Amino acid sequence: MSIDVLYGTESGNAEMAAEEIAAAVADARSLDLQDLDPDDLSASTVYLVLCSTYGDGELPASAQPFVDGLQAQKPDLTGVRYAIFGLGDSSYAESYSLGGNRLAECLDALGAERFGDFGRHDASSSEDLVASAIAWARAVLADAAVAAA
Amino acid sequence: MTFQVAIVGSGPAGCYTAQALLRTLPGVRITLVERLPVPYGLVRYGVAADHQGTKAVTRQFDRVLGHPDVTFVGNVEVGADVSLEVLRSQFDAVVIATGLCRDRRLGIAGEELPGVIPSGWLTRWANGHPDATHARPRLGRRAVVIGNGNVAIDVARLLAKAQDEFTGSDLPGEVASALVAADVGEVVIVGRGTADEARFDPVMVKELAQVAGATFDVPESSSASASPRSDALRHLADDQRRGNRVVVRFRFGWTPSRIEGEDRVEKVVFADRTGTEHSVATDTVVSAIGFTGPAPLVPDGARVEDGRLGTGLYAVGWARRGPRGTIPDARTDARLVAEVVAGDLGAQHRPTSRSEPHRCFAALPATDLEGWQAIDRYERATAAHGRVRNKVTDRRALLQLARPRLNHLQGEPA
Repeated sequence: MSIDVLYGTESGNAEMAAEEIAAAVADARSLDLQDLDPDDLSASTVYLVLCSTYGDGELPASAQPFVDGLQAQKPDLTGVRYAIFGLGDSSYAESYSLGGNRLAECLDALGAERFGDFGRHDASSSEDLVASAIAWARAVLADAAVAAA
Repeated sequence: MTFQVAIVGSGPAGCYTAQALLRTLPGVRITLVERLPVPYGLVRYGVAADHQGTKAVTRQFDRVLGHPDVTFVGNVEVGADVSLEVLRSQFDAVVIATGLCRDRRLGIAGEELPGVIPSGWLTRWANGHPDATHARPRLGRRAVVIGNGNVAIDVARLLAKAQDEFTGSDLPGEVASALVAADVGEVVIVGRGTADEARFDPVMVKELAQVAGATFDVPESSSASASPRSDALRHLADDQRRGNRVVVRFRFGWTPSRIEGEDRVEKVVFADRTGTEHSVATDTVVSAIGFTGPAPLVPDGARVEDGRLGTGLYAVGWARRGPRGTIPDARTDARLVAEVVAGDLGAQHRPTSRSEPHRCFAALPATDLEGWQAIDRYERATAAHGRVRNKVTDRRALLQLARPRLNHLQGEPA
């Protein structure tokens, strides 16, 4: 099972977390969403998607082209499995973690199958982003392995 | 083949440049030279104390400083303690990432009156900047904030919040005490343009709605249109929790004409777009109209489109493109300039730097990574209840904690 840790980032925090997951989990590599073509999403890869939130709840800059591509190309994502982790800041109560929600909605609308818990990290909390993200990745991958068995 | 790059300034632009260079030019050795004993510039001293989420980028920067190919040299001012020329002779490339911290002036009568405070000074003081610690601003009960950017909103929030709303922040104790003593009851935020022309991010205005015990006075005309800023203002007017502790007023389309007062500021006079004058009684005026250049070490009139100032000399961030843009913008900028630096060095094939470039700091009481980590540990360990950090605001105290040793860099392998 190959694992792609995808990230959409604005300030680099999601990228850092994705890289640390890729280093901590066997057979995983990290990849910026802006370097991925929606048509390349494959049923033979497991995707862990980390996505931050920007401005008033918008997608971060590096996820926007990918989402634009999803909406334009409308690939059939049936069989594509992904888990998602949203980054946000609860100081901005109304837009907290909306970037991750938006990305997940786009993937779901095209038939992708979400597994595991929707991960979240609040930048205003004292929880360490990297530790939270790695713990989340291990948990969702364990779920996926159980489901596949 | 090891290229040696010095980056002057360890704020977001400097740290992101180091991060990008480590990726684009494997094997590069980077020296981050910082004027203050501690790193991170604007993130530590400009981003508001109650925006710890924004300050969380320091977790990336901690990784940059901790990278085996990165050396942090703090407490060294390039241009004073060591010349730019010496730095250029010792390193293959020097990147200026000093930012811009000089407050733009209002340019109106009365600006020099006590009680008129430039926002850069205020936010440095509120963030425990060692250069601002000894010049505590005199805050009164009625404040006027001139400007319509995010800094104006940061200032308004700082003045308007109740003390318990700083829970989870790193607001220094002496700043908290001064705010309690001032007991601000009114904050008027004034912009030249209409609400639609304001520069603040809507989310910053929405955040104000959470200020406890505040009433918001938003002019009807400003919330008529459908722009995101007007939406945010409407949201603020509708969603306010309402209290009588503090009132926050927005005024748009007013340009400051003059500031009046005998011994200190007493009122600000504005002119609206029809020329009608509006006088606002106040005892504290904060001008939040941005920063200005020239950037330290960047020659006037230098061409900086691609960041290249001269052979082996570059500028990045605000020093390159002026005092506009956010932390993510600094990241974008850093990646661009790092590409240029890496391209130039790649084309150069062979390093020309000295084998021990750090020798130029040898006689200086520089702080290093261990010193900064000692300060960081101390600040976290001694944080008061409800604070994430007890910021050490005195330069000498910072140096005592970091214990810079003379010549400590001399023996380092090149």
